[in-house]
Amino acid sequence: MNKKSFFRSATLVLAGAAAASCFASCSKKEKAPEFSADTINIGASGPLTGGASIYGTAVYNGATMAILEINEAGGLNGTKLAFEMYDDQHKTENVANGYAAMKDKGMQVSLGCVTSAPCLEYIKNAEKDGLFFLTPSASADKVATYENAFQMCFADSNQGAAAAKLYNANDKAEFGERNIGVLYKSDDDYSTGIYETFMSGFSAEEQAAIKKASFTSDDGDSPDFSTHISALKGCDFIFMPIYYTPASQFIQKAKTTAAFSDSTIYFGCDGFDGIQSMKGFNVEDYPQEISYLSHFNSNATEGAAGEFVKKYKEKYGAETLNQFGASAYDSVYALYDAMKTASEAGKKIDGSTSVSDMTAALKGVFSSARFSFNGVTGQNVQWNADGTVIKNAIRYKVNHNV
Amino acid sequence: MSKLLETLIGGLSQGGVYALIALGYTMVYGIAKMLNFAHGDIIMVGGYTIMVFFYQTGMPIVALLAAIVVCIAVGLLTERLAYRPLRGASPLAVLITAIGVSSLLQSLTQLIFGTASSMVIVNTFGTIKIGSLVVEVSTLITLFSAAAVMLALTLFVNKTKTGKAMLAVSEDQGAAKLMGIGVNRVIAITFAVGSALAALAGYFSLLKSPSVSITMGSLPGIKAFTAAVIGGIGSIPGAMLGGILLGVIETACNAAGLANWTLAIEFAVLIVILLVRPTGLLGKKRREKV
Repeated sequence: MNKKSFFRSATLVLAGAAAASCFASCSKKEKAPEFSADTINIGASGPLTGGASIYGTAVYNGATMAILEINEAGGLNGTKLAFEMYDDQHKTENVANGYAAMKDKGMQVSLGCVTSAPCLEYIKNAEKDGLFFLTPSASADKVATYENAFQMCFADSNQGAAAAKLYNANDKAEFGERNIGVLYKSDDDYSTGIYETFMSGFSAEEQAAIKKASFTSDDGDSPDFSTHISALKGCDFIFMPIYYTPASQFIQKAKTTAAFSDSTIYFGCDGFDGIQSMKGFNVEDYPQEISYLSHFNSNATEGAAGEFVKKYKEKYGAETLNQFGASAYDSVYALYDAMKTASEAGKKIDGSTSVSDMTAALKGVFSSARFSFNGVTGQNVQWNADGTVIKNAIRYKVNHNV
Repeated sequence: MSKLLETLIGGLSQGGVYALIALGYTMVYGIAKMLNFAHGDIIMVGGYTIMVFFYQTGMPIVALLAAIVVCIAVGLLTERLAYRPLRGASPLAVLITAIGVSSLLQSLTQLIFGTASSMVIVNTFGTIKIGSLVVEVSTLITLFSAAAVMLALTLFVNKTKTGKAMLAVSEDQGAAKLMGIGVNRVIAITFAVGSALAALAGYFSLLKSPSVSITMGSLPGIKAFTAAVIGGIGSIPGAMLGGILLGVIETACNAAGLANWTLAIEFAVLIVILLVRPTGLLGKKRREKV
């Protein structure tokens, strides 16, 4: 084989491999209509690749599903909805470019960002245009401080405080009297936000008794948790306001060193969602209970949630089925409901509505006490004037769930 | 006292992993005079290969051997397709190519396996008690295997014909060529050895924290590169020393509750060492002839 033909065949092999892998992963993707002048254009920004991609992909799927259903049923008084999402890879520095591109294409309203830290950057851009967004999952408290931001998920403070409240409720009936430990990520707004409000749900003495351990992104994708495990020794309620990948590493590491008793509970927040479908991590292998505070039950078989689970699995499979997708699905429907309410009240909402008119109309509806939304992630969902959501939380057990 | 020993053992074992990776950087630099920034991603390739073969066969040893073979193949392929055509090109062109190869490897892996990270629990050895000392067995295995591999590598480089050819090429490529040493062959072997070490490092990092992700090689890669520079890039004993030093510093910082300071302390050490010894701890001084 001469030199040229070696290179040619190598290139062919590489191109073939790339094409084949694309057929495997790209073919199933379903797409909502792209932005145009005569559609109502809903934008979003989220991680479709990278470590947090499961959340972005779920939001993309959930929102697309809702958009297609709404369009199928005729759209908003005949106007179809369009949806596009920019892949920000959960990186703050990517957000501005994506926002500008969407803005140029005619974005009128948005689902904001999927994850918290990029969302704060998104707000800086949205502020200039007064763009309204309803985020399915960016739960940082600072998100709702932007006047035109509304949340479908619990704000962090509501998660941390709700977890503390759940723990303390009815003389600690839910979990019993336990030694609390907290593991959090100290350079992550999401994690520290929940951590702080969780702590403030306890008295000063109780706070002092709570053992704490933290890590940072400098520890890489695979932090060595052995020092954290020894810092939390003796705890049997471990609150973990972190994403599930490091959580699963911690839980596995604790298992190899037999660090915690079998009656220990690992309790997380919405970042735990997806841990049950993580490849190679079988939650039933762990004697300890793994559970989290949530607003969506992905095991549901009945009601609105059950119906959503069935539809989602049929279309996209179970691997990305989590509350992010459900919340995105609800967010699109809530936007649609609000637009419908506004247009019934005489406001003109279609492809030509300006960003400021859209914001004024939607904000009016969302902050009104009369507007209540029924969806997959809650019934009679309402919003505070500051944009935080009012709905009931559930304790979602991931394993030993017979 | 036992806490101190535990920390030391943990640090030596972590340092052993860094040293294995640093060897890949330092050998390629010493022999091919290039910084192979795609080296960290070979660890990732190793991690994913272990995942695939472990899920298929359930046998860690088969998965590890497969990872070594695949990593060597990928190392040789990138050397042949990306770096060899650039031999003699400006160092910047080679550097950018290496960064490109790094992105290519990450993107290809992402296309094949998707983006979500997966758990790969290859082995669980549990812990062992020696007196009041509690150590994870996997830590000891990592420590001793890394030491054995480094010893074998030192013997290979100093005693075998191929190893001596490597030393000769690193000393003076032109002269080595005139002496009848196949420079391209020696460089290819260097890449193969470096990649095999990266596969091993991938296995050890799975023992420590059992999950694979697209960027799993990035941070260890950067740390190992730092270790190579601390030890004196191009020097094989230097890479081992630098790796072990970095591992011990890291574990000591974590144990002392200074986890948030680890990176700052590590790079401060790097700066101080470079100020005192600009070529690193064991780096050779090269006198420029005018």
